[in-house]
Amino acid sequence: MPDLGQFALRLGLFLSSYALLVDLVGRLRHRRELLVSGRNATLAALLCLTVACGVLGILLVRSDFAVQYVAENTARALPLVYKLTALWAGAAGSLLLWLWLQTGFVVGAFSRVDEDTGRFCAAARAAANLVAVFFFLVLIFDKDPFRLSVTTPRDGAGLNPLLQHPAMVLHPPALFLGYAAFVIPYAWTFAALGVQGPGRPGVLLDRTRQWLLFAWMFLSIGIALGAWWAYEELGWGGYWAWDPVENSSLIPWLTATALLHCARTYRTGGKTSHWFMVLAIATFSLCIFGTFLTRYGLVSSVHAFPDPGLGILFLVLLILIWVAAGLLVVARWLGRVRSLRMIAARPEDGAVAERTRNTPHGQGLRFIVWNNWLMVLLAFVILAGTLFPFFSGLFSAHPITLKSEYFTKITAPGGLALLLLLGICPHLVRQGLGRGWRTVGAVITAAASLLTWTLAGSLAIACLVACAFVGVNLGADFVQRYAGRREGRTLRASLRWHGARVVHLGVVLAFVGIAGSSGFDVEKQVALRPGEQVQVGGLELTYHNLDAQHGPNFTAVVAEVSVRQGQRQLGKLTPSVAFYAQSDKRTSEVDIRRSLAGDLYLALTEADNSSRLINLTIFLKPLINWIWIGTILMVLGTALVFAAGLGRGRVTGALDTGGEP
Amino acid sequence: MKSKTVVKLLIGITVIGGGMGYVVVQAMQSSWSYYYSVDEFSAAGPAAREHSFRLAGRVKPGSVVRDLEQVTLAFTLAGTTAELPVRYRGVTPDNFTEDREVVVEGRLVATGVFEADTLMTRCESKYQRKVN
Repeated sequence: MPDLGQFALRLGLFLSSYALLVDLVGRLRHRRELLVSGRNATLAALLCLTVACGVLGILLVRSDFAVQYVAENTARALPLVYKLTALWAGAAGSLLLWLWLQTGFVVGAFSRVDEDTGRFCAAARAAANLVAVFFFLVLIFDKDPFRLSVTTPRDGAGLNPLLQHPAMVLHPPALFLGYAAFVIPYAWTFAALGVQGPGRPGVLLDRTRQWLLFAWMFLSIGIALGAWWAYEELGWGGYWAWDPVENSSLIPWLTATALLHCARTYRTGGKTSHWFMVLAIATFSLCIFGTFLTRYGLVSSVHAFPDPGLGILFLVLLILIWVAAGLLVVARWLGRVRSLRMIAARPEDGAVAERTRNTPHGQGLRFIVWNNWLMVLLAFVILAGTLFPFFSGLFSAHPITLKSEYFTKITAPGGLALLLLLGICPHLVRQGLGRGWRTVGAVITAAASLLTWTLAGSLAIACLVACAFVGVNLGADFVQRYAGRREGRTLRASLRWHGARVVHLGVVLAFVGIAGSSGFDVEKQVALRPGEQVQVGGLELTYHNLDAQHGPNFTAVVAEVSVRQGQRQLGKLTPSVAFYAQSDKRTSEVDIRRSLAGDLYLALTEADNSSRLINLTIFLKPLINWIWIGTILMVLGTALVFAAGLGRGRVTGALDTGGEP
Repeated sequence: MKSKTVVKLLIGITVIGGGMGYVVVQAMQSSWSYYYSVDEFSAAGPAAREHSFRLAGRVKPGSVVRDLEQVTLAFTLAGTTAELPVRYRGVTPDNFTEDREVVVEGRLVATGVFEADTLMTRCESKYQRKVN
């Protein structure tokens, strides 16, 4: 059985390399039969990957511990669903899943071989297959999911109980759906760069936009699930620790957000078109780099450099990608295309770009570019902070690490700037009512934010002030739309309009949650005996009793705590700790009283069975649930915009009309 | 590009870049933390008291003392040769046990005890997420 999997991977490597070659030659020599062959080989590689994933799934479900991956990630007693989801619990399985998804997406997006778009698709497939070849190499020679154990253990190592949580089941595949789908804008960019002369740059642009929305949506879901899991399971009252693992998903998310804005406003030869290309390649590169960073432990190591092994292949791939992109740009330049901006532009498009400069659209682009710079700078600073220990280790005997304050100190003002930009720009762009007073409003808000920041020293208040401003602005947008005339609005345009605003509203709410929960949070650690009380932020907590519960393989102690506010009983909370006899592991289950105003979060830190003395960690997290609500809105809004783009029959979209910034 | 655009661009870059640079440098200075092993830390002498450190070592078996009254956790962080008493107040990661590789962040106080404000376990699980 594992042999079949290994064979499928090797065949897949062959097919991908073949497709890469044939597509390139077919593309350059205008040979349609080669393009068909390349398309078919890519499809066949997808089949191989499907077989490999299937085989790994069967091995996991059958608990075939002869295979190292199965033994390391599952155990006999593990519930079936966790056995199956162990497919993405380890590095090997998740790389396989990524490659499978990616190849599937590429087949879905770039399978055309017709006269119009065949060569374009071939170039895009080639760019994607280049990545696939490297992934196959790593899967076959380094992170082989089908490698046999040296000795077959009687039972597997199992899955860390912390990870046995629904959010942790869905978090990795959501991330990988996102990472993998970013291959589409990346591949599209390569194809567009390769278009010589007066080509058709808008080919498949609509479709690429759709894929980008899909990717961004899943990456956001993945990040949010990870944060939610950390909050629910880890018991330290936070949801984001600026850990390299977390940062490596946030960095591409930032560039992807900038990319998304460029895609909405993409006009051939327009201001955002070269931004789009750079960001598309950067985002996908950062996805790959982040995986390399965390899966090979480049930064989490203590002292000695980890042996990156074949992980170096990822770096080689990244260098190749950027060199290839650079060469294509140079080739275009040598081909008498005057500047980057003119890439793939037809003469009349340039004229359009010129004409639109002073329209609302043209002004909107300016803000999009500001937004790009901010996002890219933030991504860069976070990346630098994440890699800092590694680089400082190169220059001195003692690596210097940055505490998480570094990240909060930088992202807080950066986020505030983004928020203000979000508050002004979508509205400034539209002509007519409100343009003046909104600018005035923005200036006042910015000044008020800065003042509260410097005077009160509280960035959280500054952020809430800005949130209020942006919220009012968004509301005004709705009022203006519904008060205005309605004729001439298509369903598509309406969906897109509402989608974009719902996303932005979600962002504002998430900011409210972040500011509230990190600016006004309370943490208290107390020792309590039965009957004792403690006051926290207007709440009165009474500790009643400690119960012991016996499960099949664990013993748990449960503390009973009642909460009162003034005369009102708010209910009981039961934080607990479970001790697993076999594995010497313990997991604490926090208990949270949720409300829109904020959470009361109790973690049982320690408990003494005989004296019933407990140590309780109490957190008050004001407004935190707005983060989750905001994220849900962001995802829903993206889904609306996605729906608006469904079923667009047009293959070409050189002159986009949908670009609402 | 017109020269006016270039000038505008330069001013923009200087202002934004300067602002960002200032924030970055400020943030870096305040969160600077040296990464040592316990052995190196002990060998560093008095200089070790001046900065904030991040130390890696192993929890010495039998050294873990939890003071439930004071809500503190005390243990000895052991390297290959040196040892260091550590005191910590806060949420203990679930996988904190004796004889495990841990990383602590904090500074040395006058009593010779390392006061940690962060305690992380080096995770052997697949997701190397820190818990602090």
